[in-house]
Amino acid sequence: MFKKGILISFLAMLSITTFVFAMGDNLVHADKPNYIISTDATYPPFDFQDKNNQYVGIDQDILKEISKRENFTYTLKPMSFNSAAQLVSNGQADGIIAGMVITEERKAVYDHSTPYYKTGVAWIVKKDSKIKSLKDLKGKTVALKTGTAASEYGKSLQAKYGFNVKYFNDTDTMYNDVAVGNSAATFEDMPVIQYAIKNGVKLKVMNADNPGNAGWYGFFVKKGENKALLSAFNRGFAAIKKDGTYDKIVAKYLGANQSTFTGAKKDNFSVLGILKANKSAFLKGLWQTIMLTFLGIILASIWGVVLGVMGVSQNKFVRGVSTTIIYIFRGLPLMVLAFFIYIGLPGVIGAKIPAFTAGVLTLVLNEGAYTGAFVRGGFEAVEVGQMEAARSLGLPYRTAMRRVIMPQGLKIMVPSFINQFIITLKDTSILSAIGLLELTQTGSLIVARNSQGFRVWAIVAIMYLIIITLLTWFSNWAQKKLQ
Amino acid sequence: MSEAQVKVHVDKVNKSYGENHVLRDISLDIAENEVVVMIGPSGSGKSTFLRMLNQLETPDNGTIIVDGYDISDKNTDINKVRENIGMVFQNFNLFNNYTVLENIMLAPVELKKLDKVAAEKKARELLETVGLSDKADMPVSSLSGGQKQRIAIARALAMTPDIMLFDEPTSALDPEMVGDVLDVMKNLAESGMTMIIVTHEMGFAKQVADRVVFFESGKIQESGTPDQVFDAPKNERLQEFLSKVTHA
Repeated sequence: MFKKGILISFLAMLSITTFVFAMGDNLVHADKPNYIISTDATYPPFDFQDKNNQYVGIDQDILKEISKRENFTYTLKPMSFNSAAQLVSNGQADGIIAGMVITEERKAVYDHSTPYYKTGVAWIVKKDSKIKSLKDLKGKTVALKTGTAASEYGKSLQAKYGFNVKYFNDTDTMYNDVAVGNSAATFEDMPVIQYAIKNGVKLKVMNADNPGNAGWYGFFVKKGENKALLSAFNRGFAAIKKDGTYDKIVAKYLGANQSTFTGAKKDNFSVLGILKANKSAFLKGLWQTIMLTFLGIILASIWGVVLGVMGVSQNKFVRGVSTTIIYIFRGLPLMVLAFFIYIGLPGVIGAKIPAFTAGVLTLVLNEGAYTGAFVRGGFEAVEVGQMEAARSLGLPYRTAMRRVIMPQGLKIMVPSFINQFIITLKDTSILSAIGLLELTQTGSLIVARNSQGFRVWAIVAIMYLIIITLLTWFSNWAQKKLQ
Repeated sequence: MSEAQVKVHVDKVNKSYGENHVLRDISLDIAENEVVVMIGPSGSGKSTFLRMLNQLETPDNGTIIVDGYDISDKNTDINKVRENIGMVFQNFNLFNNYTVLENIMLAPVELKKLDKVAAEKKARELLETVGLSDKADMPVSSLSGGQKQRIAIARALAMTPDIMLFDEPTSALDPEMVGDVLDVMKNLAESGMTMIIVTHEMGFAKQVADRVVFFESGKIQESGTPDQVFDAPKNERLQEFLSKVTHA
């Protein structure tokens, strides 16, 4: 009965929190259709956050204009490009606008809109690089962004020019790898890199007049689905093209200088300025990290104790279940698990899983497995004589566990729990991969806009240290109380 | 010995750990109020035998009937049987997460034998019997070995058992502590408790035992009154064992 009670309360808590946090995502307007549109979180000038933490860019302005004219609303899901695309292909999102090139391969999986922007691939080196032609890349490393058409193009040249490839998940980190000299070159869509260089990224384009693999950007939906959305996009696009709105949007971003979107120099070139300009974004990110950590710690601890208790059960089958669960979820990298739950699972179960729920579930399964392992170890570390003495008095196994073994075992485990809490906090940063706007993702977005990697990451690092310090203090205080 | 008086009936019990055959065809009957002391060299199987009497070990085959319950039968509710068999361990095994008083009260309260008030009253009486009334609210870690063992005896007695098992109760004690524990056991024996004791305290065995059983190589080699066993041992191995023990 005892174990069952824990399990039920655990599931209840999970569903309540899921519900509460899913609410914000699903404010549906009854009169208009609402679509979930995924996008790349860091792809200026097409998709990025401005100084007010609003998603802007050529794609975003086009989408906003079209939604107004075609009378639909949408919920934007910004994340890494690859995840954003998969979200559509598995039905978690209805459409994607993310500077996505129309290719033959994509046509097999998606239906695309009228092409809306002509692009080509640039190859790019460090500003003061001595590399003159693609031939000079032989034996060197080239940075590519996973899943993009530009990276496909780069990859297609690999055999011919004999370079090595290193993959990145976001544009900014990829640029930076080239700018600091770790990678010799990168491939990127022409307008994207031109905008970045204009905004101070220390790179240069080697083929401005001769873009490779020229192609067109399109808006995509899953093949055979969301026909209404696709035709609305096409109608709306034709309208904004006709009345000049489209040209204005493009001119607005390609002709812009940095301060238009990223704020004044003083806001970006000092730690205080960055903090002030992004106060609300940092606070939101911090809050999200704290909520993830808090729920992650509580639910993973409960789940871990359940696994630990099962792990020392008298029943061989129950022990086996616990061992297997711990083995699987301790063995899976956190990011793989997050992708599996958020991107993989919905395609199979046919229901959408909000990112926050997926994040919490990932933490609970992963941290819970670690917790389960040390909880079982803690119970096993209690002298065998304690159990024998309890049983010899006539206490049933469960009573002996509950009154004698568990209290002693839990005391042994306190340092492991504190350790696991800190790990859980740090692991929340990995959930930025599924687009959760926690502290790390907040940092990525700000850096994507203002290219102030050192200052922004220093701020983020200090914020983590502060929470970890508070968490450690609290844990030590609790530990003292327990002893 | 009539049937009604038999508290423990063991018939042809065997136990092996892998290749190691620790008990070979052991049969033994113990009567109510009897004090049986089991002696023998380390590894002779006497502790394993004792632990079988409350199923801390299970026999490979054979029959064990304790207090009228066949505990070699899987359908017997072993917890019920154990309520009436107290056990005292070499390493005390007091519950580290409770105070002295809580250690004694835990089982009677959890098993609803007594309510809290009655259990506390009884626990305090038992503490007085073992001479440790002043330790009631101490954590067990603050006690000496001898004190711990007397608390362990009180804890077992709190369930008002019919039978008490002692597994080398003084082996882990400093010499000066042994006397106090043996005194408590002596009083218990005099009160008529059925006791089965594994010990190396030969003097105590002589004084208290109704019967002494000598284990060697997983077999009962000889058993009899203390006079028979200690003063006129017939078995060669017993003679050898006794000469070693008395020289030590």
